[in-house]
Amino acid sequence: MKKRATMPKGALNLTASLVSILAGLLVGFILLMIFNFDKALYGFGNIVLTGLRTPDRVAKVLYTAAPLLMTGLSVGFAFKTGLFNIGASGQYTVGAVLALVGAILWQLPWYACILLGMIGGAVWGAIPGICKALFNVNEVITSIMFNWIGLFSANLFLYNSPRMLANAWGAINKDRTAALDKANPSAILPKLGMDKAMGSNYMNISIFIAIIAAFVMWYVLQKTTFGYELKACGYNRNASRYAGINDKRNIVLSMVIAGALSGLGGALYYLSGTGQFTMGKQLLSMGFNGIPIALLAASHPLGTILSALFIGYIQVGGEALQPEFAKEIIDIIIAAIIYLSAFSLLMRELILRGRSRRRQAEEEKSRQAADTVEE
Amino acid sequence: MNILADILSATLLFAVPLLLVALGGMFSERSGIINIALEGIMVIGALISTLLLRAFDLSGFGPANPQLAVLIAVLAAGLSGMLYSLLLAFASINLKADQTIGGTALNMLAPAFAVVLTWAIQGQGNTTILIPGWVRITAENAGLAGAEGFFARLVFKSLYLTTPIALVLMAVSSFIMYKTRLGLRLRSCGEHPQAADSVGINVYRMRYIGVLISGFLGGVGGLAFTLAAGSGFQSQVAGYGFLALAVMIFGNWKPLNIFGAALFFAFFKIIGSYSGSIPFLPDFKEIRSSEYIYLMLPYIVTMIVLILTSKKSRAPKAEGIPYDKGAR
Amino acid sequence: MSEYIIEMLNITKSFPGIKANDDITLRLRKGEIHALLGENGAGKSTLMSVLFGLYQPDSGTILKDGAPVKISSPNDANALHIGMVHQHFKLVEVFTVLDNIILGAEKTRWGVLRKDEARRRVVELSERYGLKVDPDARIEDISVGMQQRVEILKMLYRDNEILIFDEPTAVLTPQEIDELMEVMRGFAREGKSILFITHKLAEIMKVADRCTVLRKGRLIGTVDIADTSREKLSRMMVGRDISFNVEKKESAPGEKVLEVEGLTVPSRLHKKNAVKNVSFTVRRGEIVCLAGIEGNGQTEFVQALTGLEKAGSGSIRLKGREMTDMPIRERSRLGMSHIPEDRHKFGLVLDFTLEENLVLQRYWEEQFQHCGHILRRPVREYAQRLIEQYDVRSGQGAQTIVRSMSGGNQQKAIIAREMDKEADLLVAVQPTRGLDVGAIEYIHRQIVAQRDAGKAVLLVSLELDEVMDVSDRILVMYEGEIVGEFDPRKVSVQELGLYMAGAKRDDKKEAV
Repeated sequence: MKKRATMPKGALNLTASLVSILAGLLVGFILLMIFNFDKALYGFGNIVLTGLRTPDRVAKVLYTAAPLLMTGLSVGFAFKTGLFNIGASGQYTVGAVLALVGAILWQLPWYACILLGMIGGAVWGAIPGICKALFNVNEVITSIMFNWIGLFSANLFLYNSPRMLANAWGAINKDRTAALDKANPSAILPKLGMDKAMGSNYMNISIFIAIIAAFVMWYVLQKTTFGYELKACGYNRNASRYAGINDKRNIVLSMVIAGALSGLGGALYYLSGTGQFTMGKQLLSMGFNGIPIALLAASHPLGTILSALFIGYIQVGGEALQPEFAKEIIDIIIAAIIYLSAFSLLMRELILRGRSRRRQAEEEKSRQAADTVEE
Repeated sequence: MNILADILSATLLFAVPLLLVALGGMFSERSGIINIALEGIMVIGALISTLLLRAFDLSGFGPANPQLAVLIAVLAAGLSGMLYSLLLAFASINLKADQTIGGTALNMLAPAFAVVLTWAIQGQGNTTILIPGWVRITAENAGLAGAEGFFARLVFKSLYLTTPIALVLMAVSSFIMYKTRLGLRLRSCGEHPQAADSVGINVYRMRYIGVLISGFLGGVGGLAFTLAAGSGFQSQVAGYGFLALAVMIFGNWKPLNIFGAALFFAFFKIIGSYSGSIPFLPDFKEIRSSEYIYLMLPYIVTMIVLILTSKKSRAPKAEGIPYDKGAR
Repeated sequence: MSEYIIEMLNITKSFPGIKANDDITLRLRKGEIHALLGENGAGKSTLMSVLFGLYQPDSGTILKDGAPVKISSPNDANALHIGMVHQHFKLVEVFTVLDNIILGAEKTRWGVLRKDEARRRVVELSERYGLKVDPDARIEDISVGMQQRVEILKMLYRDNEILIFDEPTAVLTPQEIDELMEVMRGFAREGKSILFITHKLAEIMKVADRCTVLRKGRLIGTVDIADTSREKLSRMMVGRDISFNVEKKESAPGEKVLEVEGLTVPSRLHKKNAVKNVSFTVRRGEIVCLAGIEGNGQTEFVQALTGLEKAGSGSIRLKGREMTDMPIRERSRLGMSHIPEDRHKFGLVLDFTLEENLVLQRYWEEQFQHCGHILRRPVREYAQRLIEQYDVRSGQGAQTIVRSMSGGNQQKAIIAREMDKEADLLVAVQPTRGLDVGAIEYIHRQIVAQRDAGKAVLLVSLELDEVMDVSDRILVMYEGEIVGEFDPRKVSVQELGLYMAGAKRDDKKEAV
């Protein structure tokens, strides 16, 4: 009975997501044809196939997917509570920088740095949460402001902490943080020999940590009273108050957790030891890409694993687009997918509503039949 | 005195895009649609109009008729923003999709599209569209050569056609909103669409109008921002679309208040660039890269203002809620 | 010229799964007051929405003066001079009275509003028909009665000849109802034709010329009021005889359960207090009813009582324990259950399953969770017991998403949840709103059963029939104050109405 009630919904979600993915890829293909007709097929092949060509590309996909999965979980978790966490980018940035501070300044091991990253993200998520709970300021505006404030404070801090920068550790760059293999190899995420097996320095345990996080989130939302309260708040804030649930506390907590997830994503990415944090004036796109990932998965934590792997996959494919095409084509594809998945949410709802109406009608009929007998 | 004129002039310059875009947000939200896509709309408007200016520059039409060329570019910015906003209108009005999500998609799409298009037109890696010099209105080409003094400096320090246009558009917006049938009907759709429907007002049509006006103003705002920023168009508008939404909320969805709010925010944006020349401002000598402090300032001020005014602000009641005609 | 001004012939209208109107014919004579009678869900509103152009019928025709017409929008209806006062007023709260009246029928020159002309006409109409309004007041600042006058003026401003009133009396005091009836008679005398939707028999007997009865989407018949009786009409409406009175024993009040003293609650809308210095008690084994017209502070009072809003001053004690500032959860634990006014806004999480909703007030109890882990099986078993005991019907039992359930069953789920808590105080706010007669009888019986089981019941109701039938004691609230206390056996509806309208008040402030 239970299977029959839930399975179609999952299948429905999957179908809807697949439809928007295919449509998004089609948009990408059309664009490729417009800009360079001759190379279009070749470019499209790169997008769709690169990620599986060699083990080291697979490793790159997993490496890219790990932080994406975290920001996707972050956005999705907030969605479940009725909040739109567009601030994942800022939380990710602050988490990354705090993790790097642990690694470089304080010379901590990787797991301590991860914890710091989560704390950084949590604090950055908490502020919009508090503004929403106490002052009823729209969390979308607040988190966007805090994306910028987060980025600029990170830059400000790093420029004023000479020990953090690459040039303090034997390199010449002044615009990025030190490479971890120079500064603190013990802060690099363990690779457990997988790097050698797959022939890629990108391979490490980050994707597994992210997947574990997804399962934990699933458990929390589905099986605990805390998850029950959060969802009640998200679906109907008034009813949750009526039930004696502290809605304000839950809003803050939900943003704290969402922030911690994003912060963990930042930590995982920069503790891989392959990338250095570069001070720029652009928001990091990793946080924004959490939005399509969460939407594709209908905010379901386990679905997020799949959608993060997919987005990671086409991003790795996108890198192979250059120099014939701008790799931003991938961003267009992703944007098209979200735009279309906004429709698919609707399609999903229409199908479900149609069903429940039919069911209601049957009920109505049986009730009327019963009443006729009474007469 | 000169420095004061410069600051005021620059404040107005940066207030213009905020004013235009926030007015756009107002039209959309007053009709009931949250337009979070303004950032993307600005990018599209700026993209099309700067490309047009570049074309005018190359063809020689621009240098010959500078302000006519700019006027055409302004219209192109508005129309392209309008066209782009159709995507939001369609998703949120006809398909009743979540307005925030649809808007977010458009915000992601616009800069990516801009990069790809710029790349395709200007060649690889050449991602800045430069603004031709003749676009600016100077005292000389305004026929007031030799104008000196405080006011001349204030007016001509950095004057573009977008500034007077924005001021006119503000007056027009205010008039439309409160004195015309369109304004009355638009507002009713944002407050109580069922009531509007019951007296024969086509809610979908009004909401389309609201979103399209916001698209036009957002597109022009994109051009105004790019002109103000001064270093050409680089496929982004630095979060001004979102700042404008904050300006709109701070301005309580009312045209004149929005103008005040836009000036307020622009002032905080400008104060950073002049911190060195204003004696009483700290210059944070001992801190490296202190420009970041001033870069953050408008955002921090926005936050504080939003918190302080949150109690009083009153959003249109039905904004964000899709209107379903057939719903029982 | 046809005898009828409007004829709706063989109208059928289905919504996915539900036939809301099934082959219904209704003929309206010029200058008559024609009542449309039926229970909630009988299809009255659908039929009128078809006439007003909000819905398109699946089949059937509409004739105006004998000629077929097509009404596909309110604009078409307006062009045919059909106007409607909706049950839930269609007024923009932040607009002025004048703006609301002209909205959709604005006089303009080149798109610019010409309000002076409109104002003159509104003032003239309001004087001519005795519909007193202030054109410049905002809707949110005026009383419900005045809002209704605005709705009526909207029709007059548009020169409507066929006036539809959808349940217009639900929000009025008996005196206001009399005034409205007088206004309606005046319209009819002028030759305007009136369709009057209601489920209140007394009003029909008083004002209507003819009456059409609907039941479950079907036409039962049209009768002349002169040839019928209340009993006949009610049998047509419900399909069986119904008892107008709730059967119950004498009440036997025991110890005090709820004591409210000098309670004041600030309003969220304006600077004044919404509830002013209210004091009363409710004892075990009695049903105390808080009566009054909508918007006289009942909502705010209940919110302060149940903890949804903060009280300004005064005190609330439950079983002797101070709970004025207690969190909601604590109040619930102490022994209060609450059937909220708005079941969709407060009572249910519509996207949760039925079982999740049934434990909404007790999921945190030891029996349903262990260290924060929800115990599915006990939750399921508990839900199943309630579903059976209270006969809550749904498509997939405990796992049904509540949004897909019918309104009556949703309300039953709330009743089941709140009554099963076995709390000492039951606060029931408009528990029967929008339900059909069968469900209403059921809920009234449950409430009386709670009383007989020794619980204290505070019933907040706008329905005077309910107030008179169910309660043991009546408190009337007017502008946030309690202005009178009555024994339902010793007071008339007219008398209550005077208090509800503020025309009379007892100075004795301490109601006991």
